[in-house]
Amino acid sequence: MIAKWLGKRVIMGTIVLIIVSFLSFFMMHAAPGNPATAYYGGNAQTLTTGEKERIEQAFGLDKPVLFQYGTWLGEALQGNLGYSAKEGRPVSTILLERLPNTLQLIVLTLFLVTITSIWLGLQAGMKEGSLLDRGLSIFSIASSAIPPFWLGILFIMVFSITLGWLPSSGMNDVRGDGGLVDRLYHMVLPLTVLVISHVGIFARFLQDSVKVENHSYYVQVARANGVSEREIRSMILRNAVIPYINYVGVTIPSFFGGSIVVETLFSWSGLGQLLVKSVMVKDFPVLMGAILIIGVVVVICLFIIDVLMICLNPRLRRGGFV
Amino acid sequence: MEVLSNKGGDHIFKIENVAVHLNGKYLIHDVSFTVPKGQITAVIGESGSGKSTTLSALLGMLPAQAVMEGSILFNERNLMELSEQERAGLRKKHFFTIFQDATNSFSPTLKIKQQLYRLTASRLGQKEEAFLGKITAILKDLNLPEDVLNRYPFELSGGMLQRCMLACAFYNEPDVLMADEPTSALDMLHQQEFIKLLKNLHARLGATIILITHDLGVAAIADSMIVMKNGEIVEAGQVAEIFKEPKHPYTKRLVANHF
Repeated sequence: MIAKWLGKRVIMGTIVLIIVSFLSFFMMHAAPGNPATAYYGGNAQTLTTGEKERIEQAFGLDKPVLFQYGTWLGEALQGNLGYSAKEGRPVSTILLERLPNTLQLIVLTLFLVTITSIWLGLQAGMKEGSLLDRGLSIFSIASSAIPPFWLGILFIMVFSITLGWLPSSGMNDVRGDGGLVDRLYHMVLPLTVLVISHVGIFARFLQDSVKVENHSYYVQVARANGVSEREIRSMILRNAVIPYINYVGVTIPSFFGGSIVVETLFSWSGLGQLLVKSVMVKDFPVLMGAILIIGVVVVICLFIIDVLMICLNPRLRRGGFV
Repeated sequence: MEVLSNKGGDHIFKIENVAVHLNGKYLIHDVSFTVPKGQITAVIGESGSGKSTTLSALLGMLPAQAVMEGSILFNERNLMELSEQERAGLRKKHFFTIFQDATNSFSPTLKIKQQLYRLTASRLGQKEEAFLGKITAILKDLNLPEDVLNRYPFELSGGMLQRCMLACAFYNEPDVLMADEPTSALDMLHQQEFIKLLKNLHARLGATIILITHDLGVAAIADSMIVMKNGEIVEAGQVAEIFKEPKHPYTKRLVANHF
């Protein structure tokens, strides 16, 4: 039964990735500009028509878009993501260099956001009407209303330029000279921006979920029968966390969205920054590769969320939904 | 209107002139009665008559915005003078309450074993090994298969879950067992079975039982009875007497419809 479910999930994930890549590919080609001329940057104006055609042929851009997509997909399925003419390196090498940087940022953000929001949401939700309860509601609206790029600029101005406490760019590789401490030191500002822009809304979600559980019938029954508040709290959290984890799951793609802004702002050498750069120079192979790899990470994250849901919700396990 | 049943008898609860109002509206008004020790007292009335509010007042679990007047004495201690913590302690030590909706009385994500443990041994400060032996014997007595302990609430019927609650009552041996419409969510067969088990529990433990119901058939197992309507007590007395000679028009109608 598990093998069948797993098989189904893998097929579903592959279909999702194909759809995502298909849409991205066509949107890229629908956008104005030409990768061949973008490749030459400012010198593009000096190219003759014949030269342009030759370059387009070399890039395979003279073929119909559907054919180009088919070629790309065929290669991608065999693990070949192509070659970046702009960078002069295989796409997979570039991606593998960038992916760990983005993952570090996102995994750490996700970890800090979930820990903090679960703690805050539970405290606030259990004490309805308290200062913390009302304060968190206001904070969650405020934090989600502040655009991350604005917060990032503000942080750079205050902590990097005025106070000079933290760097706004110049991250190093963990294996480089700086080491882990240096990496973390460079990560403080981008991480803080990402955490602040997500933690409020996450905590608010759990807070509401805790309130609903706190008023539920079984909690009244437990309270009427002298079950300790500690045990009641653990029962509430156990149930409130189910819709919360689901919410985390659907929000994971937005973490990548947030990381594009933050990576660009703090010159963080990750996939987000790579995406923006590749769009500028119309580096199609890199762009497609980055979108695909983000897609793969998101699909894997959603799979982990699904497994977590099955572990947390016995109805899914024993109700024959799996 | 003040009605006291069992005047001067040995009582466990003494409720005097209790009124509860919420947002300026009275839920119960001028409610006075006593609950004789070791007996079954039924509180009967239609929905909205104030019987569940009366129970919440006894448990000290009225909504936060509700205002209560009068006094409730439990073993001569005035519940109104106790802190929230002391009331919780009282519920833990002396009371056990079974509610109407058994299917929602348990957390959906925990196995019955953990939930029964929290409702019984954990509140008494006992270890899990001692709990397992005792609860298994009780479940067997209540015609529940032993594997219910490893089931989740959604895998059991309403009747089975209500018997699980009753198993907790058997385990805890409370001074007062309160039951709020314990049979109204059950089918006829399970209703009768549950009432039989409740009588059995009363005979075995000698606990005081406060039985809230709208069903005269269920109230028939009680010794004394309080009839409520629109938040007030309209009649009180021994069940046999009220069945024989109801005085208030509402009670007369109830009795006439029952027989």
